[in-house]
Amino acid sequence: MGEETMDLAADHAVEAILRDELAREARALVAVVPVLRHLLSTEAQALVSDAILARVRGMILDLAAQLLAVQAGRDPATRGLATSNSSALDPLADALMADEALLAFCHALAAEGLIAQRLQQRHAIDPVLSPLLQELIASEDSAIAGLAMSTLAAQSRFVQGQRRMDLPLTELPPELFHRLIGLAQSDCSDRAALDQLQAGYDEATSRLGLLARLVAAMRRGVVAGLGLDHAGLALFASALAAATRQPRADGVLACHEGQTIRLALMLRAAGLLPAAIERQLLLVDPAASLPRAFAGISAERAAALLANGAAL
Amino acid sequence: MNTMDRTDGLLGAYGLTDARDRLLSADAPLAELQERCGGDLPGTLAIPELLALVQQARVMGLKIARAFSAFDGDAEVSGFARIHPLGQDDGGGCEVLVENWQRSPVSPPSAREFAEKLDAIDRATAEVSVRLDARQRLQVVSTRAPDAAAFEGAAFAAPGTVWSELVELSGIAHHQPLHWRLLDGAACRFAGSQRQWRVRLIPLGPDAQNPAGFELLLIADEPLPDTAAPGGAEVDAAETSPARLVGTALTPVLRQPVARIIANAETIRARLAGPLRDEYSEYAGTIASAGQHLAAMLDDLADLEVVETPGFATAREPVDLADAAVRAAGILGVRAQNRDTVLLVEGARGEAIAGAEFRRVLQILINLIGNAIAYSPAATTVTITALAAGEGRVAVTVADEGAGVTQEQAERIFDKGERLGRGSDGNKDGGSGLGLYISRRLAEAMDGSLTVESAPGGGALFRLELPAQ
Repeated sequence: MGEETMDLAADHAVEAILRDELAREARALVAVVPVLRHLLSTEAQALVSDAILARVRGMILDLAAQLLAVQAGRDPATRGLATSNSSALDPLADALMADEALLAFCHALAAEGLIAQRLQQRHAIDPVLSPLLQELIASEDSAIAGLAMSTLAAQSRFVQGQRRMDLPLTELPPELFHRLIGLAQSDCSDRAALDQLQAGYDEATSRLGLLARLVAAMRRGVVAGLGLDHAGLALFASALAAATRQPRADGVLACHEGQTIRLALMLRAAGLLPAAIERQLLLVDPAASLPRAFAGISAERAAALLANGAAL
Repeated sequence: MNTMDRTDGLLGAYGLTDARDRLLSADAPLAELQERCGGDLPGTLAIPELLALVQQARVMGLKIARAFSAFDGDAEVSGFARIHPLGQDDGGGCEVLVENWQRSPVSPPSAREFAEKLDAIDRATAEVSVRLDARQRLQVVSTRAPDAAAFEGAAFAAPGTVWSELVELSGIAHHQPLHWRLLDGAACRFAGSQRQWRVRLIPLGPDAQNPAGFELLLIADEPLPDTAAPGGAEVDAAETSPARLVGTALTPVLRQPVARIIANAETIRARLAGPLRDEYSEYAGTIASAGQHLAAMLDDLADLEVVETPGFATAREPVDLADAAVRAAGILGVRAQNRDTVLLVEGARGEAIAGAEFRRVLQILINLIGNAIAYSPAATTVTITALAAGEGRVAVTVADEGAGVTQEQAERIFDKGERLGRGSDGNKDGGSGLGLYISRRLAEAMDGSLTVESAPGGGALFRLELPAQ
């Protein structure tokens, strides 16, 4: 009696497993067409394109390779040697791709790289050295000038890195860095390399940290950062984020062609006047237009709309 | 200890926290913000966004850098905070460096918006809300506070009475009917509640000059005391007892003006506002050091009051004396460096575990080590040793290489207000003479003792003995 129920239970278990697997496979098949349609539809409009996919995948593989190098007790910069070991690399990369926050972060970086590239092609906006950054480097305040120089170096590394589709671990925000280090800790032969990596991490010296500090150093002059053509995308996004207290990724993605209303509202929330906002929109999307009554939206209302929109 | 690159042009303020996110020391702007946010120095970091950042950095063990902002009561303070977590050996806290410190007055909202916001806040926090008709007679009463049940009962028993008959208005001598604007904002008490309440009268209806009715809100000045609080309640009650005049009444009020005197005097002394003759700069230095003396004195007096409160008791928890010594030495590291004094901690962790209250032991050690640094010649060594003292006792000693104490001094050194003639040498340190007295009282409250003898090398050797865990 007892055995029979056991068997029956086992059968149920098998069926349940099969059902779940089948459902999963069915979902995967169902997802194919919408994803394909999205990818094939107007390339320029897409927030997910194969260029973005390739970059996100490249950055995540690169992060995984660095983690493997650290686990093996080496400096993460020597990751090239680890890429050959795909048996360990792929499962780790899969684990990383399951991390939504990491994916969102990499997506924003990839989008930043591509949008900056497009701005360069269309409007000759230099992705590395913008007029504003040049002014800051020439600042009389040596501290600001030094900060701007460091930012310039970090930004040029970033643009290079995007071309190679790599992303150093230390460029991650601390939450993600901490999570990835935790992941690497589980099977780590040599803690020394890990500890060294952790001790060497400083958000303030990462590119995003430097940009944020530079924006903070501009104080009231942050308005100067709210012009794409003057500040360049990197500083613009950081300035926009600082002025509206929104995440920087939102500022980057708002510069995508299909997100003009978000950009307009963010700029309004940052206190820009409608005429200036329109100039910025035209840089992003030549066909963009604002609703006529947009001038009547106060900065506070714009911020509230954005906050509500985020909750939807 | 200062591992951060303190780029001068961008430097705003520097602070240091410990493993429990208490701000131990801070530059003037940060200290002022801490106090304006309702915190103490030293005390738990009271600036919400900074506290979250410090906790995050400490838990992750990573250096983080974020923009932060806070409201200090008059203006918005913002800056870029860089948090560097320190290792366990350095106290387990964080270094906090705020770059680009800036304070910008908040543009006041329009009077109407502001009034609406105030009304909304009062509605949300009122524990008694009542609808009144045009002649301020009760219509409906609803209460949320247990101590307002009697008020609700009285209102229920006598519908249609004028509300002010059920409460005792403070500071209003006239009798009703009074114009409602005069009652809006008044203070009152009512039967059944020990608390002080604030009255809000909000007119209803389209015409504010001739309201169709009122919304009466009673807002308590303080939350209802939590009677179910176990354990520590007794100590808290002792610490807030009305007998403690200095600690509860005087210190909080005086701290801010004294801090401002010090900060302004430092500004003058450092000639931050422009060139100044040397004499004036020196005068300002004297004002600043006198102010610091006053501030330290206030702290000491508040402590004195606590230890002299009848029924003062300390908690009993395992305290690793070697660990406490390392932390105390870490906290005083900068002061020691300024005098080229070497702080040497001897004794391994785990060898001397006392049953005492950690923060009190730390307070005693900081006092002893601080004295040793201040009163021994520059460029000498202060040795702190944690050891087992036999038969259920453990001890920690602090030995300096100063002039030492004579037998006669040793008898007086722990007396209240005793400074052993150190007041005469220009008074540059500015102690209140209460530190050792308080330390001894604290030691005795923990069933321990604090004694002084001559160190082998000729200096003074203070010995704190505590029961072993």
